[in-house]
Amino acid sequence: MRGLPPLLLAAALALLAAPFGARLLAQALGADAEPFPADRLAGLALTHAGLALAGVLPAALLGMGLGIAVTRRAGRGLRPAADAFAAAAQAVPPVVVVALAVPAFGFGLWPTAFALLLYGLMPVLRATVAGLESVPPDIRAAAVAIGLPPSRVLSEVEWPLAWPVVLDGLRIALVLGVATAAVGALAGATTLGTPIVLGLQNQNQVLVVQGAAATAALAFAAEGLLLMATGRRAGDAA
Amino acid sequence: MKAAPALAACVAAAALLLPLPWLSVAPNRLLPGEPLSALAALGWLVAPPCLLLGLPALDRVPPTVAAALALAAALLLLVLTGGAAAERLQGLPPAARAGLGIGLWLALVAALVLAAIRMQPLALATRALLVAAALAALLAAASSGAFDALSLAVEYRNRADAVQAALLRHVALATAALLLALLVAAPLAWAGFRHPRLAGPVGAVFAGVQVVPGLALFALLIPLLAALLHAVPALRDLGLAAIGPAPAVIATAAYLTLPLWRGLSAGLAAADPAAVAAAHAIGMGEARITREVRLPLALPVFAAGLRVALVQAIGLVTLGGLVGAGGLGALVFEGLAQFATDLMLLGAIPIVLLALLADGLVRSAETRLAVAA
Repeated sequence: MRGLPPLLLAAALALLAAPFGARLLAQALGADAEPFPADRLAGLALTHAGLALAGVLPAALLGMGLGIAVTRRAGRGLRPAADAFAAAAQAVPPVVVVALAVPAFGFGLWPTAFALLLYGLMPVLRATVAGLESVPPDIRAAAVAIGLPPSRVLSEVEWPLAWPVVLDGLRIALVLGVATAAVGALAGATTLGTPIVLGLQNQNQVLVVQGAAATAALAFAAEGLLLMATGRRAGDAA
Repeated sequence: MKAAPALAACVAAAALLLPLPWLSVAPNRLLPGEPLSALAALGWLVAPPCLLLGLPALDRVPPTVAAALALAAALLLLVLTGGAAAERLQGLPPAARAGLGIGLWLALVAALVLAAIRMQPLALATRALLVAAALAALLAAASSGAFDALSLAVEYRNRADAVQAALLRHVALATAALLLALLVAAPLAWAGFRHPRLAGPVGAVFAGVQVVPGLALFALLIPLLAALLHAVPALRDLGLAAIGPAPAVIATAAYLTLPLWRGLSAGLAAADPAAVAAAHAIGMGEARITREVRLPLALPVFAAGLRVALVQAIGLVTLGGLVGAGGLGALVFEGLAQFATDLMLLGAIPIVLLALLADGLVRSAETRLAVAA
């Protein structure tokens, strides 16, 4: 039950994000203001999750594709460039990418989806390369020796063995994506960052608490659910 | 021909030859403009930069020449685009702006990546010389007015003082956050080294902070600090305030503790146990072993953690613009609020350059330390 602690934390944060919880905390901190209604918060959580997926899915596909490409013989020369690119993409924080992307894509979902794509690339690429490199060379040699073509060596031998490591990388990318999608609120996307930005603009600290707690709750919930799902799968295989 | 330089050159050529927006002429700084492709904006002048970008991808061209050519291509692209912008703006009212499109940015980044790839085998001094020469040429072109017609340059002229002040403020905030994080991470790394049982929980807490969304942590610190100041008013006299630099520095420092702590812990563990045992055997005390054996061996590893933390600090302090701390982030968020794309870029581009500069400086120090050790 590796997934239980994050799920419990998510539930606690969700209570804190609910209007009465946020109000209680704000009063304890010496502030009082009108909270964000729960149904609108739930709607924002849905668009938030959708935006995170819109950024992380292409990052996952691109990261896995690049990871496979740079571990083939023909693509080995691209390895340093791919590593440097992914590291640079991770070093620039999403908020700066959003600021650089708005002039190109305009306001809305796309600058944030693009920032999440860049941000999620490195965990997936690293995990894919690490997973494929962890395949013992004699197993690969055996697959080649029984006459499998390279595509089937990959799909039937290397990929199934690498998959648990790749899955770990995908989980990290998705959790990072859910946590960082909040910055989209600065570029015209409606996310759980929207109450935070509204609260900062109107000095309404209840909204700030709600948005922050709800974003963190969603991130921990994603972490917990994915850990449970992948944990069970690893158990099945064993 | 190697794959990576060829790919960079192809991206640059595609940006030049495909119908991507390269330059756009707009009636003022807020309205979107009419996009022109590189071929439409520059005409046959796209040929020289294409040639300059193709040569560095060839293996036969020596690295120094290749890097110089790629840098020259980037500069030429900017100068040519500046000239084309001045031509297009002639006869238009003074509020009209010539903005840069995604095609130009793509070609510029590809040219710089190409230069960086070909520079890799060169000595540090040669690389520094090439970069310095390129910067000098860029400044010379700028002061001769080559870019005056570009929207970004106009925006900078109007706000030069604010941008310079924001840049200094940004560096100050990032440095303060780095020092604060060091103050927390260094004793804990030492404690974890002495009592390994502590290392697990401390690492878990620092890693847990990383999951908290940046926007949320910066914003949450305002009510938390306000409550703290309410409870302990004496802190107010020390200059602490719930809005301004305090939440920005604290939130940034919270994210920096993990890379710093990791670098410090790995550095302390880097000394070969045999070297430590040998030092014991010749009668050195613990303090002397730490000073003369552990620290020199740990420094290159420390430096790597410091580099990651410094680059992150420069990026994360951006969010300080939201909590009243100022810095380049304030320009970014002002631009986002006004829908003024040039203002966003005026904040965001220096952040990226600053992060690259910090990375390069610490990296060169790292190699020097590794050689010394």
